Amino acid sequence: MENIQMLLKQGAVGRPCAPVVAVGDKVKKGTLIATPTGLGANVHSSVYGEVVEILEDRIIIKPDEEQPDEYVKIAKGSNLEMIKEAGIIGQGGAGFPTFIKIYNGKDDKPVLDHGYILVNASECEPGLAHNIQQIDEDPAALLRGIHYLMEIAGADKGIIAIKKKHRETIEKLDALLKDDPAIERHLLPDIYPMGEERAVVRECLGIELEPDKLPSAANAVVINSETVYSCVSAIEDQKPLIDKNITVRGMIKGGSEAHVFEKVPVGTSVQALIDRAGGFDERGYGEVIMGGSFTGKATELDAPITKCTGALLVTRPFRDLHGAKVGILVCACGGNLERMEDLVAKYNGTVGHVCYCKQAAEMPNGTRKCERPGNCPGQVKNNLEFKKAGCEYIIIGNCSDCSNTVMASGPKMGLKVMHMTDLAMMAVGHPLYRTLKVSKKVDQDLNVVDNVEDNETVQ
Amino acid sequence: MSITAETAKQHANDPAVLCCRAEAGTELTPANFEDPAIFPDLVDSGLLNLDGALKLGQVLNGSKLTKTVDSLTPITPDIVDKFDAAEEEAEEAPAAEEAAAAPAAAPVFAAPAAGGYISLHIGEGKDIDIQIPTGIGGGAVAAPVAAAPVAAAAPAAAEETGEAVVVREMTRKHYKIDKVVLGDETKIEGTTLYVRKAAATEGADAQKLVHSLELDVITPDNYHVYSETVMDIQPIATKEDDYELGEGVTRVLDGVVMVVTGITEEGVQVGEFGSSEGYIDENMMWGRPGAVDKGEIMIRAHAVIDNKKNMERPGPIAIHTAVDHVTQEIRNAMKKDLTDDMVVETQTMKQVRRPGKKKIVIVKEIMGQGAMHDNFLFPTEPVGVLGAKPNVDLGNVPVAANPLEVMDGCIHALTCIGPASKEMSRHYWREPLVYEAIHDDDVDLVGVIFVGSPQANTDKFYVSRRLGQMVESMNVDGAFVTTEGFGNNHVDFTSHIEQIGKRGVPVVGFSFCAVQGALVTGNKYCDAMVDNNKSMSGIENEVLACNTLCHEDAIRGLAMLKAKMAGETIKAPERQYTHAVKENNVELIEKAYGTKMELVENEQSLPISEKRKAKYD
Repeated sequence: MENIQMLLKQGAVGRPCAPVVAVGDKVKKGTLIATPTGLGANVHSSVYGEVVEILEDRIIIKPDEEQPDEYVKIAKGSNLEMIKEAGIIGQGGAGFPTFIKIYNGKDDKPVLDHGYILVNASECEPGLAHNIQQIDEDPAALLRGIHYLMEIAGADKGIIAIKKKHRETIEKLDALLKDDPAIERHLLPDIYPMGEERAVVRECLGIELEPDKLPSAANAVVINSETVYSCVSAIEDQKPLIDKNITVRGMIKGGSEAHVFEKVPVGTSVQALIDRAGGFDERGYGEVIMGGSFTGKATELDAPITKCTGALLVTRPFRDLHGAKVGILVCACGGNLERMEDLVAKYNGTVGHVCYCKQAAEMPNGTRKCERPGNCPGQVKNNLEFKKAGCEYIIIGNCSDCSNTVMASGPKMGLKVMHMTDLAMMAVGHPLYRTLKVSKKVDQDLNVVDNVEDNETVQ
Repeated sequence: MSITAETAKQHANDPAVLCCRAEAGTELTPANFEDPAIFPDLVDSGLLNLDGALKLGQVLNGSKLTKTVDSLTPITPDIVDKFDAAEEEAEEAPAAEEAAAAPAAAPVFAAPAAGGYISLHIGEGKDIDIQIPTGIGGGAVAAPVAAAPVAAAAPAAAEETGEAVVVREMTRKHYKIDKVVLGDETKIEGTTLYVRKAAATEGADAQKLVHSLELDVITPDNYHVYSETVMDIQPIATKEDDYELGEGVTRVLDGVVMVVTGITEEGVQVGEFGSSEGYIDENMMWGRPGAVDKGEIMIRAHAVIDNKKNMERPGPIAIHTAVDHVTQEIRNAMKKDLTDDMVVETQTMKQVRRPGKKKIVIVKEIMGQGAMHDNFLFPTEPVGVLGAKPNVDLGNVPVAANPLEVMDGCIHALTCIGPASKEMSRHYWREPLVYEAIHDDDVDLVGVIFVGSPQANTDKFYVSRRLGQMVESMNVDGAFVTTEGFGNNHVDFTSHIEQIGKRGVPVVGFSFCAVQGALVTGNKYCDAMVDNNKSMSGIENEVLACNTLCHEDAIRGLAMLKAKMAGETIKAPERQYTHAVKENNVELIEKAYGTKMELVENEQSLPISEKRKAKYD
């Protein structure tokens, strides 16, 4: 078994943790190996083994041959204390420490005033399957977790936001929700993005938050479904967050179906997971994306997965654009400029011009957030600029609605439109993001068939 | 791009076109609509057919879509549940009014769509990305600028009682020079100027960054001389006795000017967006306020400086300081050797105020980004160095001057951006706008404000806000804002106009824009602009001073400001830059004033250089 690499900074936000073990120390599954130095959460070993190296950004553990299922339990305490002790961070995105989301940091006053726990079960990134599979396997645990969180955060109501296309799973939830009046589910359309936290708030509560506002401004906490399960494990089983469910998919031997691996030890390498799925397709591949195709980034094969890694997507090989001029449209829903430039380079294009979607508001930390996720502000002006700058291609990372708008004028102007997710979508057999044919609204009655014209045309 | 309620109101009579896909049942709001400002481009490229489209004003009153339609669909009666009737009379009225107000032709861009950002990238030394709130369809679309109207300009008849008041006077004594000799001593004998060659070496020696400074004389019988980029053109003048700039007596040599040129050791021109190196007769737009006049002798001071120092402040400053060592020696000789019997012309310059007339102020934006983008303000001698403060060191904040100070060389310009749009030191010495304004009986010029253009956007808005406050406190009826160069400085240029405009003061702007220098940003106050372009193709053609403010521009600007102060509307210009706007305005002015305007020549009157042949025309 390969060495396990535990990053000292597991999420995209926060500060690196400080190691509390030394080289040569024997560790067990669940041994605390690093603690926060600022914003952050505990890190526990995901395997039995020996610490063989401590680098600036990671602790490297050589695993033992024997890996029993038992783990070192976290101490018993209040539910909140156990969530904190277990090192739980949000598993849907940036990895914000969960206990900070649900606790005001000083006294017993709850963070919400009879508010809402909104569970993001949208599994919004296309091609992923591990979240819905987890809910499908044990819907009851999700509801227990929501109740724990409602109690801690001071919420009266829980809402599970899930895409309407997951009919069977929704039926299982509905059967349980019949007897649980405090929790309901909200059905989402199958478009991107629905999982952005302000989109979840808008869909569930009808409140449109400014880009710089947190869900707390709508008296809500948004939490990813897998994170809820981790809280349940911490509270009921005293289990620290040491493993992760991962979807591996794309140019993998044996086909494009999703491989869902449950309880993968944090710190496992990308290569090990791809091998486990069957290895790379012999026809070759373009890049391996860690995370979803919109918000993830290209990764190296020896990189370790973290507590917030959800997927590894292996894309189709890149076409060679032979240096053609490519316009980049940066928006908040897809890759940032750096990611887009990386893609243009991989396509062997030349960056001809850069535009920003009108709604991609820049935040003080330099990241961008969409002012109205999923609702387009118009794109033709950008296309005019690309055309004027002499671009032959444009690459976009836009949501379903904005991509549709780009398509309304781009091709007619002679711009060849590429979406940053194209090679991943082809590899997983998902329609490309181009035109939008489905309604952005769905009926909350599971039995009402919505205005679906044709969302399944693969181009 | 989706529009705001305000923009929708301004475009109530423009076609309603969806910016994005919208589903059946959607109640239409401004956010559903595309900005009409970009329709012409869309129609041109065949993306949009506006036949039968309802107007914005007809469908914003609770109309709902009856069908799901895609982006760029014009709203037609068959896809909405209801719409308001078109306001027939309302439409005809403005047309009639327009006809009546006919003499007003004019400029500018349509109302901007608010919100959003334009990113612009300025590579200068270090790379800097700037974000600015957008006005108009930003950078993308045509030249926002155009020229003047002139409402049969308020016939001067009116009831102004006040007499013109002379605030101060200054005398310029002109001395003729028809021969310049480089030698061992600096002196003037008759009409011959002798310049000590070693003065240049001394000037260079005193400046660590200057490797060499050499003088030579270029005479009218052979202007076909190669020159490195011209950094500045300076009058040679000195104050009599202890007079300060703008008062007393100034002695000036006629027939000769200082020409500063510079390169680095490895041969990089000390210039930025293009440079004017080449044969002087192919690259000098003779007779522009800032340029050399045909027939004049040039004393060329050519400096070579350290590599890489061309784009750092100390480099250009060292060159100008070294050259001034030479010029100062000439000034000293002028004080010593010139006598009143040598005076060929005496000119009395008066600053007059006209109480009761419309009070106006001239704001001149000068470059202050650093490197050669700098100006020495208020030297002791006309266009000197000693005693002056660089506006960059002053934080680029607005500084007030009186018109005589301006025309007495209070600006020593370190020269920026494109040669064609740059205002040389000599430009201020002969500033046409100040000259025309002070001689215009219809207005009362209160003064001139210089405001620097800093590099960082935050600083730009800082100085701009100070300027707005300063203008407010002057209680004027109208203002001019001029700028030189184009691009980066347009950010604060338009902000100055906004700061003044939002205080209820009518503003007219002057800039080179045309094809290449279209404003990168704008706001609703930028509705009266004079384009300084003279070039045939509307570009920065690297011909020295070609596209700078001339008397014809000043006259158009004054006419436009008078029209604006009289409450007349300035018509928007064509979407693409066209000479026609200027021609129309000139025609209107000639008709209204009953005079003939002489227009200056452009680069087409010069022998064409290889560079111009290859790059431009």
